[in-house]
Amino acid sequence: MTDETHILLAHGNGGRLMRELIDAVFVPHLANPYLDVQADAATVPHGDGRLMLTTDAFTVQPLEFPGGDIGTLAVHGTVNDLAVAGAVPLYMTLSMVIEEGFEVSRLERIAMSIGRAARESGVAVVAGDTKVVRRGEGGGLYIAATGIGIRARDRQLGMREIQAGDRILVSGPVGDHGISVLLAREEFGLAGEVRSDCASVLGLTRALLPLPGLRFMRDPTRGGLAAVLNELCRASSLGVALHEAAIPIRPAVRSVCEMLGYDPLYLACEGRVVAVVAKQDVEAAMRAWRQLPEGQGAEVIGTVTAGRPYVTLQTIIGGERLLDELEDDPLPRIC
Amino acid sequence: MESSVGWVEERNPAAFGSSSAGFRASTQPASASTAAYRWILAGRVQGVGFRPFAFRLARTLGICGYVQNQSGQVVIVGEGLSQVLMQFGHALLNEAPPLSRPRIVSCTEQSAVGWSEFDILASAPAADGDIHLPPDCFCCDDCLKELNDSRDRRFRYPFINCTQCGPRYTLIARLPYDRTNTTMAGFDMCANCRAEYEDPANRRFHAEPVACPACGPTLAFRMRGRRALHDSEAALGACIEQLAAGRIIAVKGVGGYHLLVDATNEDAVARLRERKHRPHKPMAVMFPVDGPWLDRCVALDAESKAALFDPVRTIVLAHRRPQSSLAPGTSPGLNEVGVMLPYSPLHHLLLQAFTKPLVATSANLSGEPVLTNATEVETRLAHVADCYLHHDRDIVRPADDSVVRVIAGKARPIRLGRGAAPIELTLPFSLSRPMLAVGSQMKNTVALAWRDRAVVSPHIGNLDSPRAVAVFEQVIADLQALYTVTPEAVACDMHPGFAGTRWAVASGLPVARILHHHAHASALAGEYPDVETWLTLTWDGVGLGEDRTLWGGEGFIGRPGHWRRVTSLRPFALPGGEKAAREPWRSAAGLCWEMGHPWRNDRYGLQFQAWQRRVNCPYTSAAGRLFDAAAALVGLLDEASYEGQGPMWLEAAAEGEVANAIPLPLARSAGGIWQLDWEPLVAVLADAMLPVRLRSAIFHTSLAHGLLTQAQAVRGDVGVHHVGLCGGVFQNRLLTEQAVALLRADGFEVHLPQRLPCNDAALAFGQLVEAGARQ
Repeated sequence: MTDETHILLAHGNGGRLMRELIDAVFVPHLANPYLDVQADAATVPHGDGRLMLTTDAFTVQPLEFPGGDIGTLAVHGTVNDLAVAGAVPLYMTLSMVIEEGFEVSRLERIAMSIGRAARESGVAVVAGDTKVVRRGEGGGLYIAATGIGIRARDRQLGMREIQAGDRILVSGPVGDHGISVLLAREEFGLAGEVRSDCASVLGLTRALLPLPGLRFMRDPTRGGLAAVLNELCRASSLGVALHEAAIPIRPAVRSVCEMLGYDPLYLACEGRVVAVVAKQDVEAAMRAWRQLPEGQGAEVIGTVTAGRPYVTLQTIIGGERLLDELEDDPLPRIC
Repeated sequence: MESSVGWVEERNPAAFGSSSAGFRASTQPASASTAAYRWILAGRVQGVGFRPFAFRLARTLGICGYVQNQSGQVVIVGEGLSQVLMQFGHALLNEAPPLSRPRIVSCTEQSAVGWSEFDILASAPAADGDIHLPPDCFCCDDCLKELNDSRDRRFRYPFINCTQCGPRYTLIARLPYDRTNTTMAGFDMCANCRAEYEDPANRRFHAEPVACPACGPTLAFRMRGRRALHDSEAALGACIEQLAAGRIIAVKGVGGYHLLVDATNEDAVARLRERKHRPHKPMAVMFPVDGPWLDRCVALDAESKAALFDPVRTIVLAHRRPQSSLAPGTSPGLNEVGVMLPYSPLHHLLLQAFTKPLVATSANLSGEPVLTNATEVETRLAHVADCYLHHDRDIVRPADDSVVRVIAGKARPIRLGRGAAPIELTLPFSLSRPMLAVGSQMKNTVALAWRDRAVVSPHIGNLDSPRAVAVFEQVIADLQALYTVTPEAVACDMHPGFAGTRWAVASGLPVARILHHHAHASALAGEYPDVETWLTLTWDGVGLGEDRTLWGGEGFIGRPGHWRRVTSLRPFALPGGEKAAREPWRSAAGLCWEMGHPWRNDRYGLQFQAWQRRVNCPYTSAAGRLFDAAAALVGLLDEASYEGQGPMWLEAAAEGEVANAIPLPLARSAGGIWQLDWEPLVAVLADAMLPVRLRSAIFHTSLAHGLLTQAQAVRGDVGVHHVGLCGGVFQNRLLTEQAVALLRADGFEVHLPQRLPCNDAALAFGQLVEAGARQ
């Protein structure tokens, strides 16, 4: 696998190390016909063969941040993984791992968020589990969630469907969640200036599903837009050309990134969809998205190319920059 | 580097005397009998007119036999009187053509078979990696004379060349170096050219790119949105006319396109800067060889002048005269300007007609390798160039112009490119298996090595664009194919995010990961194999250290394969990480905050909070960041528009000022490393009561003394004598010359890189030396 003999924080950031860890440690022991390490949700045979399953764990710090908390994140994260796989989410289970000493009132606040998010997404939380770990052994609260959904139509969606010439769309500004959580976690005075985009993407995915030219959807969470597109290049052996000027980024997010030295293209979103759509369906897709409140900021940001499997950013001043896969820590290369 | 930048190896007459005993035996009883010898010569002997030279020499001396190219070597069989053969053997080395660098591999006596004359036999292909790929050459005096001779059939022909000059590296697709293996393959020679090409006594005998107006490449001029002019004279005329009107022309040269613009027209230069989004980065200027412009615009010392006129035709950083009419926009904020002379016949024709200096900057997008293809230039530089001067001799692979700067009495390479590279160096050991080194992320070069030979590629560029990575991969493949060497191991940097490291890991070969600064130290050691124990101070921008902090002010004791870190700079947290590379204020703020002082005002409040929590604020001990900090603290700039701008402006600001050093404390860290503390400098740098030039000078002098105190401390510990200085910071002449003088005065022997740049361009070679030393 990797050169590392012990788990690093970076093994959880959605980049190269995590992929290598999964391939080296889990896949050899768990391989079966339904395990799909590239997709957010797996299809398992059941009846007419459209049952979809996903699972996720949530460890965000801080637990509450402008625009959401760990509860909304758990529901939306699970729902969104099913939604971008083309499914309608139906049922969820939740496991709560609580640290000794956690305030019950806070837990209740989070439970309220869970309820509200579930209702908004049309899913029922049908089972749960509660564990308490000793003080100091958990970050207050961790949540593990599993979701089940039915794929709305029997059609193929996935990275393998992508073809050169397809267009890449994003449903709204990127980086909001990452910056919101960073500002809240570090207790910067600016907390609240940027709200997380944490939300269900079900409406967005539902709007695109009728399009025959829809190839692939993904919610760009850990590692952001850059991670999704790099994964896409690797899986499809195609290139991606992104137009920097077209990528929607809120001014507040941009200015925080510029000050702190972050690249918004690597920051997590929790309520956006990246979609790959055949050229002829781009207009229909944009129309469908922009009719939705959550799709007002949608943009066409790039093109799938037959070139080398790299993500290339065409910069505002006319240059080209490779958007690499996320490394462990973003160690400066060029100072 | 002296005047011989890029030469494969120094000519060594001793090689003859020490060659095979067979020959020496024959010198004893100098009989008048007939003998036969077989010489095998290696080194740079192909593509440099060596065979016609041997042919003419043999015929003059009345020797019979033959000369033959056998892949990378030349085999000569001569029959004649022993004494004459000996004379022949000496002359083969001592009178060899100027571009050649022959070395005798063997000289054996054999029985005469009775050759009746001396012939040149057809090249024999071989595949043993004993090949020498010549770099591109200038336009020699003989060709220049013909170029300007109205009676010559190549009068004003922009592609005139001979065995002593012209393009090589950029047009050779495959070896052996025969016309069919070059981009001249598509041009059928006319009868006249063929006669010259086949005449062993002719200067153009097997000059592979030989051509004339009747059969060779031609020019084409195109203004944006108009039809192309295909007549070469008309194209040249139109180009000159547009240059005179202040237009920007993309002109195809030897290793790629240049953007040319009138260097005396400030508006035109400003327009080029605006369109290229390059507000400050210095741009090279090409001067007419004749006329007053060169002397009028720049002051050249003897070393700089020699480098400027060297056949490599490199860019030389030279002092701009204050009253010069060169547009100030050619190198804003600097006292120096990059000067070069015309190197191809096309450039000679342009400069002769224009009679004034021209800005000649690489036609590329920021940091990418120079563009070589007409379609690419017309699409990717459509927003920059007004017109294009194309030609139809293809460029197989790009080569940017070389750059040198005179530092500590010698012209030292800053960048090895067209004319100078690929460059060959001899490894201080023999590799057990061929190895490839993929260099650094910035200023990337790659190097291929087998046995004791190492070939370093020309400058490729920063590996952050798709084009740079594509050229990087092409050069790796080409070096292997041209030298017929397949690497069995690869050396790369320790940084996991470097494109080279990713390439190395994906290659499937065994990978040797080399610390950035170990590679720097080993590159220098590789140039001076006789030094046994070094103290090498590697000061540069940033490289990943053993402790995962960002090194860049480190000193190592030892030798390749055995470096131990003994000195460093006081580390500080760098606000914003990689962003600091282009924003010197971040380094300044980092120093101030480290000391508990404020930086400017609360405009930076958020960054300060992030710094307090160490959010994206990695620790660094990089000297390059200290220079950035100083440039910002004295008020020169907060943001840089090109790499190294802060240090370069700081050096320019300090020039000519004499300052006393501020003593910098040196203390042992917990790990036993001598750390030089920058703290006393910060208050002085920020003292607005002192002139900027004085503060800048104090900074340089204090760091030079700091280097001395570090060396003295290590000598006190372990008694070291040889001090090496390398890393990009030592491109700074002011610092380097002061440090060298101080160290020498204190009894140290000081070594600086001489054949390779001191910056990251040397890293590929250093990785080879370091990995090889560990085998």
